[in-house]
Amino acid sequence: MNITLRVFLVASAVAVLYFVVRKIKKSKFEASDSIFWLFFIAILVVLGAFPQISYGLSNILGFESPSNFIFLCVIAVLLIRIFSLTAKVSLMRAKLDSLVQEVALDRNEHAQQDKKA
Amino acid sequence: MFVSWHAKSLDDDAVMKCREPQPSKCTPSISGLSPHARFAIFTTRDTMNISVRDREDGDMKLLVIIPAYNEQDCIVETVSELQRATPQFDYVVVNDGSKDDTKKLCLEHGFNLIDLPVNIGLTGGFQTGMKYALRHGYDAAVQFDADGQHVPSYLEKLAEEMERTNADIVIGSRFVTEKKSASLRMIGSRLISAITKITTGASISDPTSGLRMYNRAMIEVFSTKSDFGPEPDSIAYLARKGAKIREVQVSMRERQAGESYLTFTRSIEYMMRTCISILFVQWFRS
Repeated sequence: MNITLRVFLVASAVAVLYFVVRKIKKSKFEASDSIFWLFFIAILVVLGAFPQISYGLSNILGFESPSNFIFLCVIAVLLIRIFSLTAKVSLMRAKLDSLVQEVALDRNEHAQQDKKA
Repeated sequence: MFVSWHAKSLDDDAVMKCREPQPSKCTPSISGLSPHARFAIFTTRDTMNISVRDREDGDMKLLVIIPAYNEQDCIVETVSELQRATPQFDYVVVNDGSKDDTKKLCLEHGFNLIDLPVNIGLTGGFQTGMKYALRHGYDAAVQFDADGQHVPSYLEKLAEEMERTNADIVIGSRFVTEKKSASLRMIGSRLISAITKITTGASISDPTSGLRMYNRAMIEVFSTKSDFGPEPDSIAYLARKGAKIREVQVSMRERQAGESYLTFTRSIEYMMRTCISILFVQWFRS
Protein backbone atom coordinates (compact mmCIF):
# COMPACT_ATOMS: atom_id res chain seq x y z
CA MET A 1 0.00 0.00 0.00
CA ASN A 2 1.78 3.13 -1.17
CA ILE A 3 1.92 6.45 0.58
CA THR A 4 -0.39 8.10 -1.96
CA LEU A 5 -3.36 5.91 -1.02
CA ARG A 6 -2.66 6.44 2.68
CA VAL A 7 -2.54 10.22 2.28
CA PHE A 8 -5.66 10.05 0.14
CA LEU A 9 -7.55 8.12 2.84
CA VAL A 10 -6.66 10.60 5.56
CA ALA A 11 -7.41 13.56 3.29
CA SER A 12 -10.83 12.06 2.45
CA ALA A 13 -11.51 11.62 6.14
CA VAL A 14 -10.73 15.28 6.77
CA ALA A 15 -12.95 16.35 3.88
CA VAL A 16 -15.87 14.23 5.13
CA LEU A 17 -15.38 15.61 8.63
CA TYR A 18 -15.58 19.15 7.25
CA PHE A 19 -18.92 18.44 5.51
CA VAL A 20 -20.35 16.68 8.57
CA VAL A 21 -19.46 19.59 10.86
CA ARG A 22 -20.99 22.02 8.36
CA LYS A 23 -24.27 20.06 8.32
CA ILE A 24 -24.34 19.87 12.11
CA LYS A 25 -23.83 23.63 12.33
CA LYS A 26 -26.80 24.20 10.04
CA SER A 27 -28.84 21.69 12.09
CA LYS A 28 -29.44 19.58 9.00
CA PHE A 29 -28.11 16.40 10.57
CA GLU A 30 -29.58 14.27 13.28
CA ALA A 31 -27.20 13.08 15.97
CA SER A 32 -27.72 9.47 14.89
CA ASP A 33 -26.73 10.36 11.33
CA SER A 34 -23.50 11.99 12.46
CA ILE A 35 -22.55 8.87 14.43
CA PHE A 36 -22.40 6.86 11.21
CA TRP A 37 -20.25 9.42 9.47
CA LEU A 38 -17.88 9.82 12.40
CA PHE A 39 -17.37 6.05 12.41
CA PHE A 40 -16.79 6.14 8.67
CA ILE A 41 -14.17 8.86 9.15
CA ALA A 42 -12.53 6.86 11.94
CA ILE A 43 -12.28 3.77 9.71
CA LEU A 44 -10.64 5.78 6.91
CA VAL A 45 -8.12 7.33 9.29
CA VAL A 46 -7.25 4.03 10.97
CA LEU A 47 -6.78 2.24 7.64
CA GLY A 48 -4.64 5.14 6.34
CA ALA A 49 -2.55 5.47 9.48
CA PHE A 50 -1.95 1.76 10.14
CA PRO A 51 -1.41 -0.07 6.83
CA GLN A 52 -0.44 -3.20 8.81
CA ILE A 53 -4.16 -3.76 9.43
CA SER A 54 -4.99 -3.95 5.71
CA TYR A 55 -1.94 -6.10 5.02
CA GLY A 56 -2.83 -8.52 7.76
CA LEU A 57 -6.51 -8.80 6.87
CA SER A 58 -5.71 -9.09 3.13
CA ASN A 59 -3.44 -12.04 3.88
CA ILE A 60 -6.04 -13.78 6.01
CA LEU A 61 -8.89 -13.18 3.55
CA GLY A 62 -6.81 -13.83 0.43
CA PHE A 63 -6.84 -10.39 -1.24
CA GLU A 64 -4.09 -9.78 -3.75
CA SER A 65 -3.49 -6.25 -2.56
CA PRO A 66 -4.42 -4.32 0.57
CA SER A 67 -5.94 -1.52 -1.51
CA ASN A 68 -8.53 -3.97 -2.85
CA PHE A 69 -9.41 -4.78 0.72
CA ILE A 70 -9.93 -1.11 1.48
CA PHE A 71 -12.19 -0.65 -1.53
CA LEU A 72 -14.26 -3.62 -0.43
CA CYS A 73 -14.55 -2.20 3.08
CA VAL A 74 -15.83 1.12 1.79
CA ILE A 75 -18.30 -0.55 -0.59
CA ALA A 76 -19.60 -2.80 2.20
CA VAL A 77 -20.15 0.14 4.53
CA LEU A 78 -22.01 2.03 1.80
CA LEU A 79 -24.23 -0.97 0.99
CA ILE A 80 -25.19 -1.32 4.64
CA ARG A 81 -26.00 2.38 4.68
CA ILE A 82 -28.19 2.13 1.56
CA PHE A 83 -30.00 -0.84 3.07
CA SER A 84 -30.84 1.00 6.25
CA LEU A 85 -31.83 4.11 4.28
CA THR A 86 -34.24 2.06 2.15
CA ALA A 87 -35.87 0.74 5.29
CA LYS A 88 -36.04 4.27 6.68
CA VAL A 89 -37.65 5.66 3.53
CA SER A 90 -40.33 2.93 3.67
CA LEU A 91 -41.07 3.79 7.27
CA MET A 92 -41.23 7.51 6.48
CA ARG A 93 -43.58 6.83 3.60
CA ALA A 94 -45.89 4.78 5.79
CA LYS A 95 -45.94 7.57 8.37
CA LEU A 96 -46.53 10.25 5.75
CA ASP A 97 -49.37 8.25 4.18
CA SER A 98 -51.16 7.81 7.47
CA LEU A 99 -50.69 11.50 8.32
CA VAL A 100 -52.13 12.58 4.97
CA GLN A 101 -55.04 10.17 5.45
CA GLU A 102 -55.77 11.44 8.96
CA VAL A 103 -55.83 15.05 7.79
CA ALA A 104 -58.16 14.21 4.91
CA LEU A 105 -60.50 12.07 7.05
CA ASP A 106 -60.71 14.79 9.69
CA ARG A 107 -61.54 17.42 7.11
CA ASN A 108 -64.23 15.18 5.65
CA GLU A 109 -65.75 14.76 9.11
CA HIS A 110 -65.71 18.49 9.74
CA ALA A 111 -67.33 19.15 6.38
CA GLN A 112 -70.07 16.63 7.14
CA GLN A 113 -70.69 18.19 10.56
CA ASP A 114 -70.90 21.64 8.98
CA LYS A 115 -73.42 20.31 6.49
CA LYS A 116 -75.60 18.94 9.27
CA ALA A 117 -75.38 22.10 11.36
CA MET B 1 -72.36 10.01 -23.36
CA PHE B 2 -71.33 6.52 -22.44
CA VAL B 3 -70.29 3.98 -24.98
CA SER B 4 -72.93 1.29 -25.19
CA TRP B 5 -72.38 -1.91 -23.32
CA HIS B 6 -74.37 -5.04 -23.05
CA ALA B 7 -75.46 -6.39 -19.75
CA LYS B 8 -74.93 -10.06 -19.30
CA SER B 9 -77.73 -11.92 -17.67
CA LEU B 10 -76.60 -13.39 -14.45
CA ASP B 11 -77.57 -16.76 -13.23
CA ASP B 12 -76.08 -19.09 -10.70
CA ASP B 13 -73.90 -20.73 -13.30
CA ALA B 14 -72.19 -17.44 -13.87
CA VAL B 15 -71.06 -17.37 -10.29
CA MET B 16 -67.83 -19.22 -10.11
CA LYS B 17 -66.60 -21.00 -7.10
CA CYS B 18 -63.08 -19.99 -6.31
CA ARG B 19 -62.70 -22.45 -3.53
CA GLU B 20 -64.09 -25.88 -3.23
CA PRO B 21 -66.80 -25.95 -0.61
CA GLN B 22 -65.47 -29.09 1.06
CA PRO B 23 -63.35 -28.24 4.04
CA SER B 24 -60.99 -31.08 3.19
CA LYS B 25 -59.96 -29.27 0.01
CA CYS B 26 -59.56 -25.97 1.77
CA THR B 27 -57.44 -27.20 4.60
CA PRO B 28 -54.15 -27.79 2.78
CA SER B 29 -53.78 -24.19 1.69
CA ILE B 30 -54.45 -22.96 5.18
CA SER B 31 -52.59 -25.60 7.13
CA GLY B 32 -49.25 -23.94 6.46
CA LEU B 33 -50.27 -20.97 8.52
CA SER B 34 -49.90 -20.55 12.21
CA PRO B 35 -53.20 -20.49 14.07
CA HIS B 36 -52.48 -16.86 14.88
CA ALA B 37 -52.29 -15.87 11.23
CA ARG B 38 -55.71 -17.28 10.57
CA PHE B 39 -57.02 -15.85 13.77
CA ALA B 40 -55.82 -12.38 12.88
CA ILE B 41 -58.02 -12.24 9.83
CA PHE B 42 -61.04 -13.97 11.21
CA THR B 43 -61.37 -12.48 14.66
CA THR B 44 -63.80 -9.91 13.40
CA ARG B 45 -65.51 -12.10 10.91
CA ASP B 46 -67.69 -14.00 13.32
CA THR B 47 -68.76 -10.89 15.17
CA MET B 48 -69.59 -9.27 11.84
CA ASN B 49 -71.77 -12.14 10.77
CA ILE B 50 -73.66 -11.97 14.00
CA SER B 51 -74.29 -8.26 13.62
CA VAL B 52 -75.56 -8.77 10.10
CA ARG B 53 -77.86 -11.54 11.21
CA ASP B 54 -79.17 -9.40 14.03
CA ARG B 55 -80.34 -6.74 11.68
CA GLU B 56 -83.89 -7.55 10.66
CA ASP B 57 -83.85 -6.09 7.18
CA GLY B 58 -80.76 -8.12 6.30
CA ASP B 59 -79.44 -5.28 4.16
CA MET B 60 -75.76 -4.69 4.64
CA LYS B 61 -74.38 -1.22 4.90
CA LEU B 62 -72.21 -0.83 1.83
CA LEU B 63 -69.74 1.92 1.02
CA VAL B 64 -68.67 2.59 -2.56
CA ILE B 65 -65.11 3.91 -2.57
CA ILE B 66 -64.18 5.94 -5.64
CA PRO B 67 -60.47 6.73 -5.79
CA ALA B 68 -59.89 9.64 -8.15
CA TYR B 69 -56.66 11.07 -9.51
CA ASN B 70 -56.98 13.69 -12.24
CA GLU B 71 -60.48 12.56 -13.23
CA GLN B 72 -62.12 15.93 -13.95
CA ASP B 73 -63.55 14.69 -17.25
CA CYS B 74 -65.59 11.85 -15.83
CA ILE B 75 -65.91 12.10 -12.06
CA VAL B 76 -69.18 14.06 -12.15
CA GLU B 77 -70.82 11.68 -14.59
CA THR B 78 -69.56 8.62 -12.70
CA VAL B 79 -70.86 9.77 -9.32
CA SER B 80 -74.15 11.08 -10.75
CA GLU B 81 -74.77 7.77 -12.49
CA LEU B 82 -73.94 5.90 -9.31
CA GLN B 83 -76.35 8.02 -7.28
CA ARG B 84 -79.10 7.51 -9.86
CA ALA B 85 -78.57 3.76 -10.25
CA THR B 86 -77.89 2.77 -6.66
CA PRO B 87 -79.21 5.44 -4.29
CA GLN B 88 -79.33 2.85 -1.48
CA PHE B 89 -75.52 2.70 -1.25
CA ASP B 90 -73.33 5.34 0.33
CA TYR B 91 -70.28 6.47 -1.56
CA VAL B 92 -67.14 8.49 -0.95
CA VAL B 93 -64.80 10.04 -3.49
CA VAL B 94 -61.13 9.93 -2.45
CA ASN B 95 -59.33 12.67 -4.33
CA ASP B 96 -55.68 11.66 -4.32
CA GLY B 97 -54.11 15.09 -4.63
CA SER B 98 -55.31 15.65 -8.20
CA LYS B 99 -53.66 18.47 -10.09
CA ASP B 100 -56.77 19.19 -12.17
CA ASP B 101 -60.26 20.36 -11.16
CA THR B 102 -61.42 17.08 -9.62
CA LYS B 103 -61.68 18.58 -6.15
CA LYS B 104 -63.42 21.73 -7.33
CA LEU B 105 -66.02 19.75 -9.28
CA CYS B 106 -66.71 17.45 -6.33
CA LEU B 107 -67.23 20.39 -3.99
CA GLU B 108 -69.46 22.19 -6.52
CA HIS B 109 -71.69 19.14 -6.82
CA GLY B 110 -71.69 18.51 -3.09
CA PHE B 111 -70.22 15.03 -3.36
CA ASN B 112 -69.02 13.26 -0.25
CA LEU B 113 -65.31 13.95 -0.65
CA ILE B 114 -62.14 12.93 1.16
CA ASP B 115 -59.49 15.26 -0.16
CA LEU B 116 -55.91 14.03 0.32
CA PRO B 117 -53.69 17.14 0.46
CA VAL B 118 -50.87 15.40 -1.45
CA ASN B 119 -50.75 12.51 -3.91
CA ILE B 120 -49.99 9.25 -2.11
CA GLY B 121 -50.95 6.72 -4.80
CA LEU B 122 -53.82 4.28 -5.25
CA THR B 123 -52.77 2.06 -2.33
CA GLY B 124 -52.90 4.91 0.18
CA GLY B 125 -55.92 6.49 -1.48
CA PHE B 126 -57.95 3.31 -1.35
CA GLN B 127 -56.82 2.68 2.20
CA THR B 128 -58.23 6.08 3.15
CA GLY B 129 -61.61 4.88 1.89
CA MET B 130 -61.24 1.68 3.93
CA LYS B 131 -60.41 3.67 7.07
CA TYR B 132 -63.50 5.77 6.44
CA ALA B 133 -65.58 2.59 6.08
CA LEU B 134 -64.15 1.21 9.32
CA ARG B 135 -64.81 4.38 11.29
CA HIS B 136 -68.35 4.76 10.01
CA GLY B 137 -69.22 1.13 10.70
CA TYR B 138 -69.80 -0.18 7.19
CA ASP B 139 -70.33 -3.92 6.72
CA ALA B 140 -68.76 -3.95 3.28
CA ALA B 141 -66.86 -1.70 0.91
CA VAL B 142 -66.36 -1.85 -2.84
CA GLN B 143 -63.74 -0.23 -5.02
CA PHE B 144 -65.29 1.63 -7.93
CA ASP B 145 -63.32 3.28 -10.73
CA ALA B 146 -63.85 6.98 -11.32
CA ASP B 147 -63.22 6.73 -15.05
CA GLY B 148 -66.58 5.16 -15.89
CA GLN B 149 -65.32 1.62 -16.53
CA HIS B 150 -67.50 0.09 -13.84
CA VAL B 151 -71.26 -0.22 -14.20
CA PRO B 152 -73.21 0.65 -11.02
CA SER B 153 -75.98 -1.89 -11.62
CA TYR B 154 -73.56 -4.73 -10.88
CA LEU B 155 -72.94 -3.53 -7.33
CA GLU B 156 -76.23 -5.04 -6.23
CA LYS B 157 -75.19 -8.38 -7.75
CA LEU B 158 -71.88 -8.32 -5.92
CA ALA B 159 -73.60 -7.44 -2.65
CA GLU B 160 -76.14 -10.24 -3.09
CA GLU B 161 -73.37 -12.71 -3.74
CA MET B 162 -71.52 -11.57 -0.64
CA GLU B 163 -74.59 -11.90 1.55
CA ARG B 164 -75.61 -15.23 0.06
CA THR B 165 -72.23 -16.94 0.30
CA ASN B 166 -70.73 -15.06 3.23
CA ALA B 167 -67.66 -14.42 1.11
CA ASP B 168 -64.86 -12.18 2.33
CA ILE B 169 -64.14 -10.82 -1.12
CA VAL B 170 -66.39 -10.73 -4.18
CA ILE B 171 -64.67 -9.84 -7.44
CA GLY B 172 -66.55 -8.46 -10.41
CA SER B 173 -64.91 -10.58 -13.09
CA ARG B 174 -65.06 -10.16 -16.84
CA PHE B 175 -64.14 -13.80 -17.41
CA VAL B 176 -66.37 -16.10 -15.40
CA THR B 177 -68.44 -17.03 -18.43
CA GLU B 178 -66.59 -15.05 -21.06
CA LYS B 179 -63.32 -16.15 -22.66
CA LYS B 180 -60.18 -14.11 -22.35
CA SER B 181 -58.86 -12.68 -25.58
CA ALA B 182 -55.28 -13.31 -26.66
CA SER B 183 -54.07 -9.74 -26.23
CA LEU B 184 -50.87 -8.92 -24.36
CA ARG B 185 -52.88 -7.63 -21.44
CA MET B 186 -54.73 -10.91 -21.13
CA ILE B 187 -51.51 -12.89 -21.24
CA GLY B 188 -50.50 -10.87 -18.19
CA SER B 189 -53.84 -11.61 -16.59
CA ARG B 190 -53.42 -15.34 -17.23
CA LEU B 191 -49.94 -15.25 -15.75
CA ILE B 192 -51.17 -13.61 -12.54
CA SER B 193 -54.08 -16.10 -12.37
CA ALA B 194 -51.67 -18.99 -12.76
CA ILE B 195 -49.26 -17.74 -10.11
CA THR B 196 -52.14 -17.12 -7.73
CA LYS B 197 -53.49 -20.61 -8.35
CA ILE B 198 -50.09 -22.23 -7.77
CA THR B 199 -49.25 -20.33 -4.61
CA THR B 200 -52.65 -20.14 -2.95
CA GLY B 201 -54.89 -22.71 -4.62
CA ALA B 202 -57.52 -20.05 -5.34
CA SER B 203 -58.80 -19.80 -8.92
CA ILE B 204 -59.37 -16.18 -9.79
CA SER B 205 -60.35 -15.64 -13.39
CA ASP B 206 -59.93 -11.87 -13.39
CA PRO B 207 -57.23 -10.95 -10.87
CA THR B 208 -56.71 -7.45 -12.26
CA SER B 209 -60.36 -6.45 -12.10
CA GLY B 210 -60.69 -3.22 -10.15
CA LEU B 211 -64.25 -3.99 -9.10
CA ARG B 212 -63.87 -5.82 -5.79
CA MET B 213 -66.12 -5.92 -2.76
CA TYR B 214 -64.71 -6.55 0.71
CA ASN B 215 -66.49 -7.49 3.92
CA ARG B 216 -65.90 -6.05 7.36
CA ALA B 217 -62.98 -8.34 8.20
CA MET B 218 -61.21 -7.36 4.99
CA ILE B 219 -61.91 -3.67 5.64
CA GLU B 220 -60.00 -4.03 8.91
CA VAL B 221 -57.09 -5.75 7.21
CA PHE B 222 -56.83 -3.08 4.51
CA SER B 223 -57.13 -0.27 7.07
CA THR B 224 -54.32 -1.48 9.28
CA LYS B 225 -51.69 -2.87 6.90
CA SER B 226 -49.39 -0.45 5.18
CA ASP B 227 -48.34 -0.99 1.57
CA PHE B 228 -51.38 -3.19 1.09
CA GLY B 229 -53.09 -2.01 -2.07
CA PRO B 230 -56.21 -3.20 -3.87
CA GLU B 231 -54.06 -5.31 -6.18
CA PRO B 232 -53.74 -8.98 -7.17
CA ASP B 233 -50.89 -9.58 -4.72
CA SER B 234 -53.02 -8.52 -1.76
CA ILE B 235 -55.81 -10.79 -2.98
CA ALA B 236 -53.35 -13.68 -3.23
CA TYR B 237 -52.12 -12.94 0.28
CA LEU B 238 -55.65 -12.91 1.67
CA ALA B 239 -56.55 -16.08 -0.21
CA ARG B 240 -53.59 -17.82 1.36
CA LYS B 241 -54.66 -16.62 4.79
CA GLY B 242 -57.98 -18.32 4.21
CA ALA B 243 -60.20 -15.53 2.90
CA LYS B 244 -63.19 -16.79 0.96
CA ILE B 245 -63.19 -15.30 -2.54
CA ARG B 246 -66.03 -15.47 -5.06
CA GLU B 247 -66.41 -14.05 -8.52
CA VAL B 248 -69.45 -12.66 -10.29
CA GLN B 249 -69.63 -12.13 -14.05
CA VAL B 250 -69.78 -8.45 -14.96
CA SER B 251 -69.11 -6.48 -18.09
CA MET B 252 -67.05 -3.35 -18.09
CA ARG B 253 -67.00 -0.35 -20.38
CA GLU B 254 -64.12 1.31 -22.11
CA ARG B 255 -62.73 4.14 -20.04
CA GLN B 256 -64.82 7.24 -20.67
CA ALA B 257 -62.07 9.81 -20.46
CA GLY B 258 -58.48 10.32 -19.51
CA GLU B 259 -55.54 8.20 -20.50
CA SER B 260 -54.83 4.68 -19.38
CA TYR B 261 -52.30 4.55 -16.62
CA LEU B 262 -50.73 1.45 -18.08
CA THR B 263 -48.25 2.37 -20.76
CA PHE B 264 -45.98 -0.37 -22.09
CA THR B 265 -43.12 0.20 -19.66
CA ARG B 266 -45.55 0.63 -16.77
CA SER B 267 -47.24 -2.63 -17.74
CA ILE B 268 -43.94 -4.47 -17.58
CA GLU B 269 -43.17 -2.81 -14.27
CA TYR B 270 -46.63 -3.72 -12.96
CA MET B 271 -46.27 -7.35 -14.02
CA MET B 272 -42.82 -7.65 -12.45
CA ARG B 273 -43.96 -6.05 -9.21
CA THR B 274 -47.12 -8.16 -9.00
CA CYS B 275 -45.42 -11.46 -9.81
CA ILE B 276 -42.48 -10.92 -7.48
CA SER B 277 -44.84 -9.75 -4.78
CA ILE B 278 -47.03 -12.87 -5.05
CA LEU B 279 -44.14 -15.29 -5.44
CA PHE B 280 -41.81 -13.82 -2.87
CA VAL B 281 -42.89 -10.85 -0.73
CA GLN B 282 -46.31 -12.12 0.33
CA TRP B 283 -44.86 -15.27 1.91
CA PHE B 284 -43.09 -13.21 4.51
CA ARG B 285 -45.74 -10.63 5.32
CA SER B 286 -47.04 -10.60 8.83
